[in-house]
Amino acid sequence: MANMNLYSRGDKWFVIANMVLVGLFTIATLYPFLYIAAVSFSSGFAAAAGTVVLTPVNFTIAAYERVLSEPEFWRSYANTFIYTFGGTAVSLLIIIPGAYALSRPQLIGRRFWNLFVAFTMWFNAGLIPFFLNMRDLGLLDSYFGIIIGFALNAFNIILLRNFFESIPSSFEEAARMDGANEFQVLWKVYVPLSKPAIATITLFCIVARWNGFFWAMVLLQSEDKIPLQVYLRQLIAELSDDEEFTSTLISAAYSVETVTAAIIVCSIIPVLLIYPWVQKYFNKGILLGGVKE
Amino acid sequence: MSGVSLERIVKRYGALEVVHGIDLEIAPKEFVVLVGPSGCGKSTTLRMIAGLEEISGGTCRIGDRVVNRVAPKDRDVAMVFQNYALYPHLSVADNIAFGLRIRRTPKAEIASSVEEVAGILGLTPYLDRRPADLSGGQRQRVAMGRAIVRHPEVFLFDEPLSNLDAKLRTQMRAEIKRLHKRLGVTSVYVTHDQVEAMTLADRIVVMRDGRIEQIGTPMELFNDPVNTFVAGFIGSPPMNQFEAVVEAGERGPVAVANGARIALPALESLRHAQGRKVIIGIRPEHASIEPMPGASTVPVELDLIETLGSEALLHSSIGEVPFVIKAETGGDTAHLARVEAFHVAPERIKVFDHDTGRVLGAARMGVAA
Repeated sequence: MANMNLYSRGDKWFVIANMVLVGLFTIATLYPFLYIAAVSFSSGFAAAAGTVVLTPVNFTIAAYERVLSEPEFWRSYANTFIYTFGGTAVSLLIIIPGAYALSRPQLIGRRFWNLFVAFTMWFNAGLIPFFLNMRDLGLLDSYFGIIIGFALNAFNIILLRNFFESIPSSFEEAARMDGANEFQVLWKVYVPLSKPAIATITLFCIVARWNGFFWAMVLLQSEDKIPLQVYLRQLIAELSDDEEFTSTLISAAYSVETVTAAIIVCSIIPVLLIYPWVQKYFNKGILLGGVKE
Repeated sequence: MSGVSLERIVKRYGALEVVHGIDLEIAPKEFVVLVGPSGCGKSTTLRMIAGLEEISGGTCRIGDRVVNRVAPKDRDVAMVFQNYALYPHLSVADNIAFGLRIRRTPKAEIASSVEEVAGILGLTPYLDRRPADLSGGQRQRVAMGRAIVRHPEVFLFDEPLSNLDAKLRTQMRAEIKRLHKRLGVTSVYVTHDQVEAMTLADRIVVMRDGRIEQIGTPMELFNDPVNTFVAGFIGSPPMNQFEAVVEAGERGPVAVANGARIALPALESLRHAQGRKVIIGIRPEHASIEPMPGASTVPVELDLIETLGSEALLHSSIGEVPFVIKAETGGDTAHLARVEAFHVAPERIKVFDHDTGRVLGAARMGVAA
């Protein structure tokens, strides 16, 4: 911590209050993760009895054995990967050129197109029209439908557009003088300069896709196409309805709670692994040294 | 090498016209500097030559080709930007090679070109560095390297030195001059710094409010400014200017200002000009503190001495009018503190029309009418 002598009395209290608030916030964010992890490694009895607080009670990996032995689990896991990475790639391919076009002063009707995109942030057709639209386009129950139907997000476009707008126009001019066409200006100059912004929207896309549940449930019927989140819900429903399973709960090494927790842990791990990789792009100053204002 | 020709070039932003029909012929291999205060249209003119701004009217030629509708990349020009605009994600070598890569130059050729340019600019030890790891002068050199590597027909410089500190600016100025001598590429250079203009240019174009005030060699502009604006803009410190009334003297016209009587050059236009209001212009270096035969003596009140070393600037006044004298110190400033007057030869004095600011005809009485 910085030398507290440099702070006035009021500043000290401000710093202390900040630290307490940040500490509380950290605990509130972190605790559910720890709790779920603890439950997933506890016995079914302990989980059902609610005795798990922070660490596993009667440590067992029975829940994981049950989950990992399900072929449907692995299939839905693979589906989630397809939706997440396929969807994110398609999103970036649309968002990056779209945001670049919207950021260019020479775009004819620029105000209109920007408003056109922003409009979808505030207003959308709603559940049933969207469903009917997807149905009529033949995009129900298909990988492609899920990937293309949610490829575009106005917020991400506007975020990236604003970043592109903040890049000094002399970069574009220098590249044009060097002989670059519009595509080369975008991919060879603007995209490398925008790594932090693109990393941010990549993370947004990945997390949104990974957690995508509702529309996958609505649009997908085939068991072999559902993502992890939908499978998780089905499994919970299945286990809860299974009378034999619930009646033998007391003696069970795992329960609905521990199995659910185990799946949640399995589904969190990839996102936890991605974040540090993306975070390295969140450093500021990528433009440093290129221009001098 | 190609020249550049501008014919009645106009730039309009909507209804606002910022460049009003400029004519300029730049010869092949010539180094031309556009100079003027902010907003005079010099950068806009340069950007129209580059193709970064559309030309609203008139014709721009590079060599024999009309380029009004030619894309920047096809004009065979290279530009050095004020803020360098180096690609921060690329190394020095990749920055220099960028244009060649875009044009799909063979790899071996790129490597040898980059090496050659780095050698010329003293960048060889820094080829693997990123722009962020370079000093201001090195960055400026990379920006120039990026321009010269393509062997363009024309170089365009948009205030390339204005972000450097004074010492580095002097150094880079000399480097640009040396580079131009070596490569002989037609160059158009924009600056608001008249010292840069004077030192670099073969010819200077002085601009104001979207119009050209005067075109000429540095010495032409210094010796024969066409109006008070050019007279005040070129030269450092600027020419002293003050109002005066013409009267007839014993040996020719004299100017009377604040009680001082100053003999004027025997200009034809001053022959019957008694009572005419004019602007008198005297360069600080032409006001001598030593008496000279035939020179007028003008009493001044000394206010402040700025010592520059071998020279000093004497800030003084003729009555209420401020007047700067540039004097040799001879290694000592004690004698300067006793200055009570300066002396100026009539032929050193510029006379401008009071209302238009235009210089009064160079024609001398008895020589030509």
